[in-house]
Amino acid sequence: MTAPKVAADTAFRAADYLRVPEPWEVFGERSQRYEIHLNGRSIELVRGPILLEGFGVRVFRRRDAGLASGFQASTDLSAEGVKAAATDAEALSEHSSFPAKKIELPGSGPSGENGLEVCDPRLWERPMETLNEYVDAALGPFDTIRGAQPSFGSVRATLTETTLTNSAGLKASYARTLVWFELAVKAQGGPEGAPPGEYWVNETMSRVEPSRVEAQVPDWCRYAEDVRRAVPPPTGELPVVLPTSILSTIVPSVLGTRFTGRARLREVAPGIGEAWGNESVTVHDDGRVPWGVGSSPVDDEGTPQRRRTLLDHGKVKELLYDVRHAGVFGTESTGSGIRGREFVYLDWRRFLHPPQVTSTTLVVEPGTGGSDAELVEAAGEGLWVQQLGWAIPDPLSGAFGGEIRIGYRIRGGKLAEPVRGGTVGGVVLSPPGTPSLLGNIAAIGSAPALAEGILSPTLLVRPLTVAGK
Amino acid sequence: MTDLREFEDDFAHALARLVHRTRFVELLAELEEGEEVRIDRRSLTPSLDPRIQGAVIRAWGGERWVEAATSALNRASLDQAAASVERSVSKSATGAAPPGESATTRGEWADRPARPMRSLGSDAMISLARDAFSWAIAVPGVKDCQVEVGWSENQRFYLNSAGARCFQLISRVGANVAPIAIENGRVEYDYLSRGYIGGQERLGFLSQERVADVAKGTVELLHARAPPTGEMSVLLDQGTTGTLAHESFGHGTEADQFLRDRSYLRPILGQTVGPESLTIIDQGSHPDGWGTFYFDDEGHLGQRTVLIDRGKFIGALHDRETAAALHVSATGNARRSDFLSRLFVRMTNTYVEPGDWTFDELVREAKNGVVLEHCTSGIEDPLGGQMQIKVKKGRKIENGQLTDLVSSMALSGKVLEVLRQIKGLSRPGDFEMSPGYCGKGHTDLLPVGSGGTFLLSTAVVGPA
Repeated sequence: MTAPKVAADTAFRAADYLRVPEPWEVFGERSQRYEIHLNGRSIELVRGPILLEGFGVRVFRRRDAGLASGFQASTDLSAEGVKAAATDAEALSEHSSFPAKKIELPGSGPSGENGLEVCDPRLWERPMETLNEYVDAALGPFDTIRGAQPSFGSVRATLTETTLTNSAGLKASYARTLVWFELAVKAQGGPEGAPPGEYWVNETMSRVEPSRVEAQVPDWCRYAEDVRRAVPPPTGELPVVLPTSILSTIVPSVLGTRFTGRARLREVAPGIGEAWGNESVTVHDDGRVPWGVGSSPVDDEGTPQRRRTLLDHGKVKELLYDVRHAGVFGTESTGSGIRGREFVYLDWRRFLHPPQVTSTTLVVEPGTGGSDAELVEAAGEGLWVQQLGWAIPDPLSGAFGGEIRIGYRIRGGKLAEPVRGGTVGGVVLSPPGTPSLLGNIAAIGSAPALAEGILSPTLLVRPLTVAGK
Repeated sequence: MTDLREFEDDFAHALARLVHRTRFVELLAELEEGEEVRIDRRSLTPSLDPRIQGAVIRAWGGERWVEAATSALNRASLDQAAASVERSVSKSATGAAPPGESATTRGEWADRPARPMRSLGSDAMISLARDAFSWAIAVPGVKDCQVEVGWSENQRFYLNSAGARCFQLISRVGANVAPIAIENGRVEYDYLSRGYIGGQERLGFLSQERVADVAKGTVELLHARAPPTGEMSVLLDQGTTGTLAHESFGHGTEADQFLRDRSYLRPILGQTVGPESLTIIDQGSHPDGWGTFYFDDEGHLGQRTVLIDRGKFIGALHDRETAAALHVSATGNARRSDFLSRLFVRMTNTYVEPGDWTFDELVREAKNGVVLEHCTSGIEDPLGGQMQIKVKKGRKIENGQLTDLVSSMALSGKVLEVLRQIKGLSRPGDFEMSPGYCGKGHTDLLPVGSGGTFLLSTAVVGPA
């Protein structure tokens, strides 16, 4: 698959006007955004193109306490506009402090022409037409489905040409696409007198796959229908099966915070070699996962992406570094300088943000647990969680928990009645010898799936705390 | 400082291109400037709001709305955005009127704080942040503390083909203090967070006493017990009560959900949903709310909308389209996150009116249960009528007395059951409005206020 040629020169143009001492970097983006919003099965609003071109300039300056930095972003690409942003960055660096001993900016990087799959070529060529086809594919199955219909939804696509340059000679560029899709499916079928049920799909991805969305609709309708007859879960410590879609809302924000040089600087990172997970668990961070929303040829500082092993059979092997935190500890950047990921939100306007060190796509190595059905069988008496209300954990303490929007009791090794309400929770990560999600993994499935920031099989955790009636 | 009104001729030129192609067109331009200082034990990071500004043009396309936006405020780029809209407008656009009433508001409003944050200067902001940091770190057991002090000035300039012309400048100021304690690999933090409309005069809350209190609370969390689980009496602090209002009768009364037939509340409009003591308000014109504004992004003035009046569900939140569909007036709740984002019906400042209990009386009334303190997030379920609220900590109530400190929890339950089981609210002196950011679904975050006093009810609680 050939990546589109990048025509934008945003960062390079801004750098031409830059008159500041080294070291410096400029990150540029030229984006087009297209959106279709649905009300039921009707198109309510069409947006686009929404055009945005801008850059972020960062300068590094030696101060008493180390190497400070200043950052400013702007959409003004005139000579005066670049000068104003650079003046802001210089002024901010005057006041800032950071204990880096040195800063080593990457001197070269691959371009987007290296085969990495981060740009949907059809979407790139015909954005609105492709989105319309995707909407048709998502809505088509409802022609023949009785008792469930979409109540609202949207698909929003951003086509971005990214450019990076710095005082070390880096000139990198690549194109990528990012798609955000939501659809609320409302069920009226099922038990008489019960209120309607809803299953609310939220997905972030790098490409649109009409055939995939079309195939998923019947499952979404079934979940919405099951909401209508769901009962509250029990209270207690239960084996819980967590599919990839749930793990994507729980695991990346904790590991992406704690397994970093930033956490090490604040003395909250796990120690290398310590056992913070079950010995069956190996977790990598991989910035080159095909179609991963965190994937790119280079990170947002220009360091080539690669795979990093965070947990090797439960033991901490490696932490993530951007150039600043690498400079504190005398190590190299791992390609983990990422822009625009604040908490759980992925901002499509990355140039507005300075890089932060965090994960890209976490890869949990498949285990021997087999299929989802086999994991359910292994659970015996427990709970399958299909969707949580807001599971987002506290990234520092690692505590997570959320309301069960739809799940299923597991009885005798089989999925049984749907459950809804109450909460399921625990701690993602905790010190050696204390219970946690990663420490209590009882089985790892054999088939990984990609969901936003994680590529993982389904996991069986024994136990997690469930609070119901 | 750039003033959006300087671009008025270019805005008008872009609109003029469309007025003969559609029955209605509007333009909203936005510019925000601001500054923040973030400090912790190892670093100091000042930052400025990005130099970004832009405008979105929305037109009635005959059957649906169409819009385009640009981040370049010059005639050529604005005309290009207008041309994009023009291409999407159907030939019938001049015949069909858009839904609802077009605003005709004209006026200019600007916050004029007694002591604007802009004049404080970076050094003074850093000094303030360092003071707060030193107060926290002085508490034994606190290893680090993240302090953020910041302000913003948001300009919005709105024009439409019905004659509306309005400009506003909203000044916001706020600070967060989050001490961190670590022991045997366990990491805990607590927080103090406030945000207001205004200037330097609003930062008085950042006192040594308050910061030390939250720092001591952080250290105590290292030894907090696991929260109780199951259904029990829940006593919510002010911020959590505000979030209850926001999640329970805020999202569910955003009337676009009514039109999508996605609100469990629509069929019960006019019915009694809670005790006489329960009144819930949404107020964009609130003098002290993080979500306060003068006019919304359709040009309608911010106002006070009663959602629940003494237990009876009487009102909802509207933009022009939902108001027309339901034969009421727009309530000034049409908001965009920014000029790059679409418009939705959104909350502003949502709060529960105070009651007449004391906190101690509510604890005694609860008998056994838990106090939920320092809300961290909430999420609604507009169709299913459930909600989830997460808090950082709490305290068990046993035999009408406060006992053990407990760690983070999630409250969940059916909204109507939780509201019906409200036993009381504390007095006006306890009222607080908290700043926050609200999404429509998982996107489109914008500033909102949530407020109330202590509230006693029953719900399911579990770890989070």
